[in-house]
Amino acid sequence: MSHVTEATPGPARPQGTVGGGNAVVGYLGGIRDVVVLEMKQRLRSRGWYIMLGIWFVVIAIVTWLTWLAWNASMESRRSFGEPTQDAAGSMVFEVVLAFVLLFGLLVAPALSANAINGDRAGGTLAILQITLLTPGQILWGKFCAGWLAALAFLGTSAPFLVFGMFQGGLTPGHVLVSLLMLAVELAAICGLGVGISALAGRPLFSIVVTYLVVAALVVGSLISFALGSQLAQGTVLANSPVSHSVPYAPLTPDGSEPVVPVTPVEPGFTCEGPLVEQRAFRTERVAWMLALNPYVVVADAIPYPDRSGAAFYSVGLLEGISQSARTALAGPEHSYQCANGVVQPQYLKQTTPLWPLGLTLQVVLTSLLMWLGWRALRTPARGLARGTRIA
Amino acid sequence: MSIATTSNTPNPGALSGALGVSAKGVSRHFGAVHAVEHVDFRAPAGKVTALIGPNGAGKTTLLLMLASLLKPDSGTITIDGLDPAQDRAAVRLRIGWMPDTLGVWESLTAREILVQMARFYRLPAARIPQRVADLLELVRLDTLADQPARVLSRGQQQRLSLARALVHDPSVLLLDEPASGLDPGSRVELRKLLRSLAGEGKAVVVSSHVLSELDEIADGAVFVNQGRTVKQQTIEEAALAGRRYAVTALDSEALMAKLRELGVEFRVEAGRRPAVTLLLTHDAGAAALLSELVTSGIGVVSFAPATGALEETYMNLETEQR
Repeated sequence: MSHVTEATPGPARPQGTVGGGNAVVGYLGGIRDVVVLEMKQRLRSRGWYIMLGIWFVVIAIVTWLTWLAWNASMESRRSFGEPTQDAAGSMVFEVVLAFVLLFGLLVAPALSANAINGDRAGGTLAILQITLLTPGQILWGKFCAGWLAALAFLGTSAPFLVFGMFQGGLTPGHVLVSLLMLAVELAAICGLGVGISALAGRPLFSIVVTYLVVAALVVGSLISFALGSQLAQGTVLANSPVSHSVPYAPLTPDGSEPVVPVTPVEPGFTCEGPLVEQRAFRTERVAWMLALNPYVVVADAIPYPDRSGAAFYSVGLLEGISQSARTALAGPEHSYQCANGVVQPQYLKQTTPLWPLGLTLQVVLTSLLMWLGWRALRTPARGLARGTRIA
Repeated sequence: MSIATTSNTPNPGALSGALGVSAKGVSRHFGAVHAVEHVDFRAPAGKVTALIGPNGAGKTTLLLMLASLLKPDSGTITIDGLDPAQDRAAVRLRIGWMPDTLGVWESLTAREILVQMARFYRLPAARIPQRVADLLELVRLDTLADQPARVLSRGQQQRLSLARALVHDPSVLLLDEPASGLDPGSRVELRKLLRSLAGEGKAVVVSSHVLSELDEIADGAVFVNQGRTVKQQTIEEAALAGRRYAVTALDSEALMAKLRELGVEFRVEAGRRPAVTLLLTHDAGAAALLSELVTSGIGVVSFAPATGALEETYMNLETEQR
């Protein structure tokens, strides 16, 4: 056994074990290696391409139908002599965006929620754990791979958003912000999925749990907001609105554009009388629940012009969501008609956006699950999920 | 042996006596099940150590703890004198682990799998292709190197798994049932390979219940049952404990008469052909008995060990357990 003490470096001398800067490069390199491994496997499965193809076709159909529907409604408006103007043209963009988000929320769990326990079931997780890879590298690698796959789906739908942009007279900025927010939402869901898959024993269970969490974010946030508002009953000091006689500009008889509404017509009332406590829903206390909703986050992040003062405007879907969310955040102090005796315009000039709060909450939730997942991946492992083997 | 020239040399400061794997008083339970209870285990460098026990004896759990994947509830484990909890990376570089579940990335080719593993062990990128090619040749998968792993047979995947454990040239090899699913030719090769790896100074731990295999390759054996170390012995000690020989002759009656005359205790075995077996403690005694039988005109057809040395111990332990 003399040669065991030889000082010749073996071929397995690792790189990057010296130096602080190298440590970061080494850490990222490990993540990249895991991503490469994951992507190679994904790109070789036919199911992935089939899913991508179905996604493309479905979104194409949705876009086409929306465009037909919009054209038809414009046509009928024209035949009845109604004005056919403005932002309704963004309907194609909005419907496609909402649809892409819906599909993204459905696909992201499938791409991520079996990342860890699927490997555990296949016996390949321990193969990674036995190497120099750290739990963090494995987790981040799996997350990035899942997210990249989800982004491929998003990339496939980008042409339709661009089509919507041209139809609706929107700017490339709208498309960029939308794509960015969709990408962030997909990242949050992928993080949830990877974290849950590290915690749950069986892939089926973690996929179902991830879908339930997504459902809780989309539907549960609305339900809990609605119920929460009921519980958050309070009062607001307000007096009574008194209507003015000619608040609105009349339509011209021939149906063409109204001529006068250059001057502001809002508010159509003044506030008079003593301040009285009025019952109101203190929605600002529960607005954070609404903020958890991915649709609210995406819709609220997309910019739209300030329309206070405009007489007529048709609110698009996203703008409507954003306005409702911001009204909820503002609470009755700013949305009740004569709160504190001040005229509160119907169109809310609430400039505090809700989406940063929502995104923060989502990131906190995702980080928590990722952290718990990281704990579950540490080796030597102390506790194991019931009924699972580490290898 | 072109492949493994030098092992990962441990720190000069490490005691040479501590080389290899050692576990002291290691216990691990899963819920109410005590998978491993106070096991002592020692696998010195340069030797092949067999880990023997019936199904569910705690072999895999012990190997997982030795591989630094599972934390023992109590007890200490050292790999080349290093504590896995303290020097994780250093220990990982020294351990090559082959699991009992194959766990291959099915859509990757054999070559890609080994390249990925080499990257995970942070081998210098320039040396990876050559290293992988050498390993593929070593386990005779060079012709199948660019086939997806899913088309490989179980035995081929088993060999790939062995190559994967060797990719970073570890100084300790922990192999869980490496021979299962291998054809006889591959078994002989595995045996040769393990002997040569031990010859290079690696500590090789092989768990198995195919005892006839282990007789040929193991230098020592640790018997575990119901989570406890039942016995630790070298092959020489096992051989000294006595071995059962089976003897058949053209005329069984004459053979038995002669044995009675010699005063040797024997028993008649129920088998395809009438045979007697008897316990002999050393090889010289066997040679003397054979020559005695032949010279007295008994037509001896066969005279051979009925069981391997380890199997003898194993079967004795089994009966003691009951």
